Amino acid sequence: MSPVLKLTDLSVSFATPRGNLRAVREVNIELNAGESLGVVGESGSGKTVLSRATMGLLPRTATRTGTVEFQGDDISGYDAKQVRDLWGTGMAMIFQDPMTALNPVRRIGDQLTESLIVRQGMDKKAAREKALALLQRVRIPDPQAMMRKFPYQLSGGMRQRIMIAIAVSCNPTMLFADEPTTALDVTVQAQVLELLSELRKEFNMAMILVTHDLGVVAGHTDKIAVMYAGDVVEYAPTRELFANMKMPYTEALLKSIPRLETPTGTRLPVIEGRLPDPTKDEPGCPFANRCPYVTDKCRAEKPPLTDGGNGHYYRCWFPIGGGQ
Amino acid sequence: MFKRFLKKPIGYKLSTIWLVFVVFLAIFRDLLPGPEWDESTEALGVGPFSPGHFFGTTQDGFDVLAGIINGARLSVLVAVTSVLIGGGIGAFIGITCAYFRGKYDRVVNVAFNMMLSIPNLVLSLALISVLAATKDGVPASDARKVGVMILSLIIVIIPILGRIARSATLQWSTREFIIASKSMGTKDMTIITKHIVPNVAPAILAIGFFAVGVVIIVEGSLSILGIGIAGGASWGSMLAIGRSYLEFSPWETYFPVACIAFTVLSTNYFGDYVRAQLDKRESKI
Repeated sequence: MSPVLKLTDLSVSFATPRGNLRAVREVNIELNAGESLGVVGESGSGKTVLSRATMGLLPRTATRTGTVEFQGDDISGYDAKQVRDLWGTGMAMIFQDPMTALNPVRRIGDQLTESLIVRQGMDKKAAREKALALLQRVRIPDPQAMMRKFPYQLSGGMRQRIMIAIAVSCNPTMLFADEPTTALDVTVQAQVLELLSELRKEFNMAMILVTHDLGVVAGHTDKIAVMYAGDVVEYAPTRELFANMKMPYTEALLKSIPRLETPTGTRLPVIEGRLPDPTKDEPGCPFANRCPYVTDKCRAEKPPLTDGGNGHYYRCWFPIGGGQ
Repeated sequence: MFKRFLKKPIGYKLSTIWLVFVVFLAIFRDLLPGPEWDESTEALGVGPFSPGHFFGTTQDGFDVLAGIINGARLSVLVAVTSVLIGGGIGAFIGITCAYFRGKYDRVVNVAFNMMLSIPNLVLSLALISVLAATKDGVPASDARKVGVMILSLIIVIIPILGRIARSATLQWSTREFIIASKSMGTKDMTIITKHIVPNVAPAILAIGFFAVGVVIIVEGSLSILGIGIAGGASWGSMLAIGRSYLEFSPWETYFPVACIAFTVLSTNYFGDYVRAQLDKRESKI
């Protein structure tokens, strides 16, 4: 069976006044039907750009190289119309901030039925029924009343459920969730993630879950790609990654999650320093000046993506627990 | 509906009543009793509140009230048609160029700037004196003059509303919900009509109502300059005649001026109110 999504050497760069900003660098990823991949990294590591580049939703200033294969077809050369035919029914996206991703002056019902009418060719009545079923599916109480409401009348969690309902309305094969829980509070986060996992299994969708929180991806993904400064620095099945962490960066990310069992008054460990300037191409490992295990070799030469067995790839000269 | 109207702020009530009244006059002019506006009477320069002539008469014996009622039609006709047509064209160009950007946007921008750099009175003056000129001693017909005046006002309004529409669209077209709708495969024209227009409509409507006021003033100014509609057929035209007799019969000037002022104030207030009402956003809570 061929994978649903296959990225080969996908790179994205932006033309900025300061020079060429390389946001994503030669990323290779494969995803099968029903599988979910977590993309993790701090702000500015290229996670969002990666998911938008895969969909083809980049601003005009961006250049994309490499190939994107979707269901066996190379879609990187598609023109605007071909891509548009794919959106919604083939690939759909859930956005980070449900406050801005819904049109503030249109009723929920209109926004929910829009793509059903435009893309699926349903008539108004059928679209309305489908919309009500979708609202019920994402566990919105009193769907009838919800159809007539405006976004400002809803809480963040409700809005994100609406966004999810819109995204899955045309039964996409592949769903992108770009930090779907960042704008929500913790109790709602868990519910929304649970809902996403359920829907994914129900519709057999492949999913890419973009987040900066390793805790979020742990229970809801099959594979994880850790990104740093536009590179995928570690790529492994979720279980394997947490059991056998190779990258110092991944370890640092995990350490910087607050835990309940630490005594009060303890300082939260942070990753010192900042991301390297993405417009400059410096030699060496991009994480070198923040890494606790840095050596001269790290500063001189950029490590290649190494195969560590068990589908575990990493980009480090001195992986934790030793290399092959 | 009437009960809801009573609860509105007083400014809204007054401006709505006035605008409805003016439109009523414009439509039902011929059915109203009273002297004909263009027939001179025996009474020359009679003051207001005199029997038979509630607003008085002009120095030439024309009834001022009849003139006001008659003038409403032309003022409303000129203002509404030019704003509807000019505003429609301007909004369409402004929204599409801000949405699609690129070369089209740049060309439109330069064109708008060029049009805005010509003072609107000068532009109207030039157009009217070229297109509705006196030929071989025969002045152009009033209908032609009105047509050219509307045309020139349309040209004045296109860049004004086009600009507003463009800047409002720029603000909205990069918002996430537009990208979200795009990511569901919605066509550009659907996004424009369903997502952009409802969001930019309040701003365009407010300026549109404001433009109605501006157009009424421009029409008056053109009449005073002597190139508008002659013979007291519009409020501006009445004003143009009346100002020569300001010391003898000031009411001849006061009443049309008051009408213009009320109408402009009402359109401004009404536009503002409509904009605030259409704004269904968080800021309202």
